[in-house]
Amino acid sequence: MNGHFHEDEVLGKAFDARLMRRLIRFLKPYRALFAACVLLTVFIAGLQLVIPYVSKVAIDAYMTLPRSILALDAAPSEGNPIDLGDGRYLVEIQAVPPELRRDWETAGALSTERYLLIEAGSDEAEVVERYPEALTAVPGGWIASEEDLRALPTRDLERLRGSAIAGIVRLAALFAVVLLVRFVFTILQVYLLQYTGQRVMYDMRRGLFAHVLRLPLRFFDRNPVGRLVTRVTNDVAAINEMFTSMLVNLFRDAFLILGILIVMFGLEWRLALVIFALFPVIVFAAWQFRNRVRVAYREVRRQIARLNAYIQESISGMRIIQLFVQELKANERFSEINQAKYAAQIRQMLTFAVFRPMMSFLSSFAIALVIWYGGFNVLRGSLSLGALTAFIQYARMLFEPVLNLSEGYNVLQAAMASSERIFRLLDEDAEDPGAGEAFPAPEGRIEFRDVWFAYNEEDWVLKGVSFVAEPGRHVAIVGPTGSGKTTIIRILLRMYPIQKGEILLDGVPIERLDLAYLRSRMAVVLQDVFLFSGDIMDNIRLRSDIPEEVAIESARFVNADFVEALPDGYHTEVKERGVTLSVGERQLLSFARAVAFDPTVLVLDEATASIDSHTEALIQRSLHKIMEGRTSIVIAHRLSTIREADRIIVLHKGELVESGTHEQLLALDGLYAALHSLQFAETGEGVLRDASD
Amino acid sequence: MDRLQTWLWRYRGRVLAGFIALMIVNGATILVPLIIREAIDRLTRGEGGLLQSGLMITGLAVVVMAFRFLWRYFFIGAARRIERAIRAKLYSHLLGLSASFYNETKTGDLMAHATNDIEAVARACGFGIITIADPLFMIPVSVAIMASIDPRLTLYAVLPLPILALFMVWFGAVIHRRFEAVQEAFSTLMEKVRETVSGIRVVKSFVQERGTEIDFSTTNQLQVDRNMALVRIHGLFHPLIELLSGASLAIILWIGGIDVVRASISLGDFVAFTQYLSMLIWPMIAMGWAVNLIQRGRASLGRINRLLAETPEIVEPAKPRSLRGTRIEIRDLTFAYPSGNGRVASPALSDIQLTIDEGMTLGVVGLTGAGKSTLAHLIPRVFDPPVGTICIGGVDIRDVGLDELRRSIGFVPQDPFLFSATLAENIAFGAPEASREEIEEAATLAGFHEEILEFPEGYETTVGERGISLSGGQKQRVAIARALLLKPRIVIFDDPLSAVDAEREEYILGKLRKFFHGRTSILIAHRISAVMHADQTIVIDKGRIVERGTHDELIAGGGIYERIWRLQQAERRAIQP
Repeated sequence: MNGHFHEDEVLGKAFDARLMRRLIRFLKPYRALFAACVLLTVFIAGLQLVIPYVSKVAIDAYMTLPRSILALDAAPSEGNPIDLGDGRYLVEIQAVPPELRRDWETAGALSTERYLLIEAGSDEAEVVERYPEALTAVPGGWIASEEDLRALPTRDLERLRGSAIAGIVRLAALFAVVLLVRFVFTILQVYLLQYTGQRVMYDMRRGLFAHVLRLPLRFFDRNPVGRLVTRVTNDVAAINEMFTSMLVNLFRDAFLILGILIVMFGLEWRLALVIFALFPVIVFAAWQFRNRVRVAYREVRRQIARLNAYIQESISGMRIIQLFVQELKANERFSEINQAKYAAQIRQMLTFAVFRPMMSFLSSFAIALVIWYGGFNVLRGSLSLGALTAFIQYARMLFEPVLNLSEGYNVLQAAMASSERIFRLLDEDAEDPGAGEAFPAPEGRIEFRDVWFAYNEEDWVLKGVSFVAEPGRHVAIVGPTGSGKTTIIRILLRMYPIQKGEILLDGVPIERLDLAYLRSRMAVVLQDVFLFSGDIMDNIRLRSDIPEEVAIESARFVNADFVEALPDGYHTEVKERGVTLSVGERQLLSFARAVAFDPTVLVLDEATASIDSHTEALIQRSLHKIMEGRTSIVIAHRLSTIREADRIIVLHKGELVESGTHEQLLALDGLYAALHSLQFAETGEGVLRDASD
Repeated sequence: MDRLQTWLWRYRGRVLAGFIALMIVNGATILVPLIIREAIDRLTRGEGGLLQSGLMITGLAVVVMAFRFLWRYFFIGAARRIERAIRAKLYSHLLGLSASFYNETKTGDLMAHATNDIEAVARACGFGIITIADPLFMIPVSVAIMASIDPRLTLYAVLPLPILALFMVWFGAVIHRRFEAVQEAFSTLMEKVRETVSGIRVVKSFVQERGTEIDFSTTNQLQVDRNMALVRIHGLFHPLIELLSGASLAIILWIGGIDVVRASISLGDFVAFTQYLSMLIWPMIAMGWAVNLIQRGRASLGRINRLLAETPEIVEPAKPRSLRGTRIEIRDLTFAYPSGNGRVASPALSDIQLTIDEGMTLGVVGLTGAGKSTLAHLIPRVFDPPVGTICIGGVDIRDVGLDELRRSIGFVPQDPFLFSATLAENIAFGAPEASREEIEEAATLAGFHEEILEFPEGYETTVGERGISLSGGQKQRVAIARALLLKPRIVIFDDPLSAVDAEREEYILGKLRKFFHGRTSILIAHRISAVMHADQTIVIDKGRIVERGTHDELIAGGGIYERIWRLQQAERRAIQP
């Protein structure tokens, strides 16, 4: 189950050349593969066309007798005529051009009865000699009608028709070969196509993901997580659907329709025209069907989403429903939604129930037309029986590609909408990577020089803050919630660009530094520690190549001994399916993380949450150790941390109101002194809580 | 427990009608090749009468069209009705299950039952039945007709088809497995992106973009691999069907073609044969498919039945008694949460002795995890206390009608769960028929009325996923209004104002004092200022009452209460200018 039902289902046009050009670019590395797929597809469609033709040939050349008797004044120029005398000629039907044949038919000159010619002197002639009265002698041999032949014993019949039987066996073998070739090539085509699609998706996802990673934080503030997930997963899948199912099938279907029409027109253009007259009806019906299916499908999706959301909410809010005795009401509401979903699905079913049978009716009707009008053509000689049966099969084949094409339209439309969203994301500006300066051995001097910052324009969160943290010294930031403490950390790491003033690392404005360099010199420990799925080790060294030993050393250094007591030690899974870590343990892990990365500057947001006293003591000790020798900027809540800072700066509503050492500030008797005396004066311990806690 | 058959039997009318329609469709379809045969044979003899054949085909096509509509209508209609009924049954069952069930069951699993499993049952009942019924008629009848034309040819031609059916059985199972694997990889992919975006600050601060990318490529590649594993099997699907059905046609061309030449069958027979054969392909596939559909439907129904077999832990007493008073008396209460695996959990509350006289207010203070919320939840029987330990008005709450008990308690939970509905609907949740005045009155009491008026649509503003998101403090006040609106005789506040600042809490509670008057109230708070006016306050620590008395008594006692009080006093002075 996933909850991404809220996707913007606004669909625009089905084809956008600009988007398409950008999309095609993703195909570029695989253009050879893709071209091979298209070629294979067309080739397979070609084989598809061959199959009915094979039976046509079998019927016309072998299953029906080849000759008819023609009554004509003069010997015909076509059809290898054999003069039977009395103006009668034995002609080979297959060798007569259809127009000529039709003329003969219309004139009633051609016999409907078909004959087999057995030439004198051939091997078969020997059979004839045994049945002198059964066959009719003609100049140069004998002829036999269907009826004559049927009267012969099977063995002799088989001898007389030996060449036809051999021809059928040959054709059946050819048929089998075509089948096998089609089988192998189809598998190859499917595999290649899917492979290409998967590679393209892989690239797209990689590109998107890499891009997302480099977007500025401001972007993440604006865009909910679910939306970004959909871009990288579902939207990419929609495009893949277009490449693999729609684009290639487009070639196949177009080729098939064209091929069928050409073959049909070649066989009998009038019959083809009759079938073709149905074409607009088919296309219209398919189009209508597509539209309705889409509307119905969307409604079903909407109702399913609504139902799922309702069930999900009921489960989460079950306690409230029960406490407020609203089971009946909830059930009533559920029935409504359940019913609405049912109704939507019934509507969808009706759409299918009307259109599917309608399409199959059209297909049957086309066959009826072939039988009637085609049969008429057979009788008047312009169509062979084999061609008629082929026509029946081609008429059936004509429908599927039309339906597919109309289906493809929906896929295309969805893909266009998805690619529009994807490209919008790709067009977001990435973070400025900085001017690229870096020093080999940073000292870690940090200076804020009249820094002004606002998340939203003019809504100043920091107003002209200036302070200096000398290398290796500790600065404690103190102030109530909303005073701008956390913002200082963010802008120091250049998560957000400042509007006015300067932040300098070792005298260089941070904008001029290489962004990766800047951040890698600092380690951040935040109050609420974000853990990634994976084991403890992954969470200490993250995705870096820090060796395991270093990670373990760092954990030991910060007294994160609890790890070793876990079931799988450093390889214990955290989060889902894993252990749940306490707030204190999470803190220690994040310390270990910071130490493992060996930063020059430590940026720390001390936890305010209540932690049991044992862990609290551990954390304090670790904190001392990791701050040792590093420039530290600490949003401090604990008295000991504050007291030992080299400099305390007191923020109030974005302004730096006091700064100095603990003693200096106490002597100043201002805001700091007031805070201190209220919270720590008596016990000397405790946590400096944010005022709103 | 209901089986698939039971459900189908319940809709037997529709199923039967669908079956009849399907039979008519099949019967009409099966005639078409015979007409074509007749037409072709007539053509070989040079006879006409083809208009008649064409009209007959068209006529049959009309019948097929009409009854195809009907079988879809009846079969799919029945399946959707079954789906609707099962889902309704499941939902009302869920409404009756107790908190301990929900504590132990993942929402995701429940959702899977309510969606995927029900869908699988519907598929088994709809297309599953069709895939059984269709071959049942089509195969024997087509084969019989073919055999009447030429038994030997029939035997040869039908030979490859059972392979097709067997192949489908195996195939369906493998594809299903691989498809699930693809789905799983897809979820992993989603989760990976979700997690990375959620932890983007950490990724950026530690400059882990490159590493994260490399890590992502594993997940990305997994998706490719799983998909290709599916394609390797799935890619065989159509080609193999084409191959096997084509093989049958090749046999007909070979053996049947020779038969035509030998004049043992007519050309019409030959054409009819090929048509019957192509009619047999779908039922053969369907047979194999049916096995899978039914199997999956059965497994899903099994899971649903298991869920339906869950019995609610909290049940209505056999002979419900009415509440007479609201004096709450707790005697020797020791309570441990039921643990799913049969282990005995350590008690969350031990040896609680407590009396709240009618109309009095009890304050409850204590550190996180001390057991305050547990106490609050036992009174409306979210969890069941041991028999005889909690009495209201002299009656054991386990003997009181469940609805009556809960209706007489206004409960404000710590976590103010709101539904995605309008503010007015949320406030009137316990009394949907409440008037606008009552709603506004409750909101005013909860100190939220003015703020609501500032929302774009006032009381009609939708909250939750599809509407605006409220702050924690705002949600809490809606939750308070929701409880107050009921004008309950007993009020339980489980630290409902933790997310508003102290002044506002005091202001709201000050206004509520009048409301509490005459109602028996339990007020859990983490700020002393919230409970200092209570008639009596208890301090709970590690599941036990460690201090009790009035505010003054507790301050004088110099215990936990007094220490918390001093700390909070100091904090307050600090932020006052």
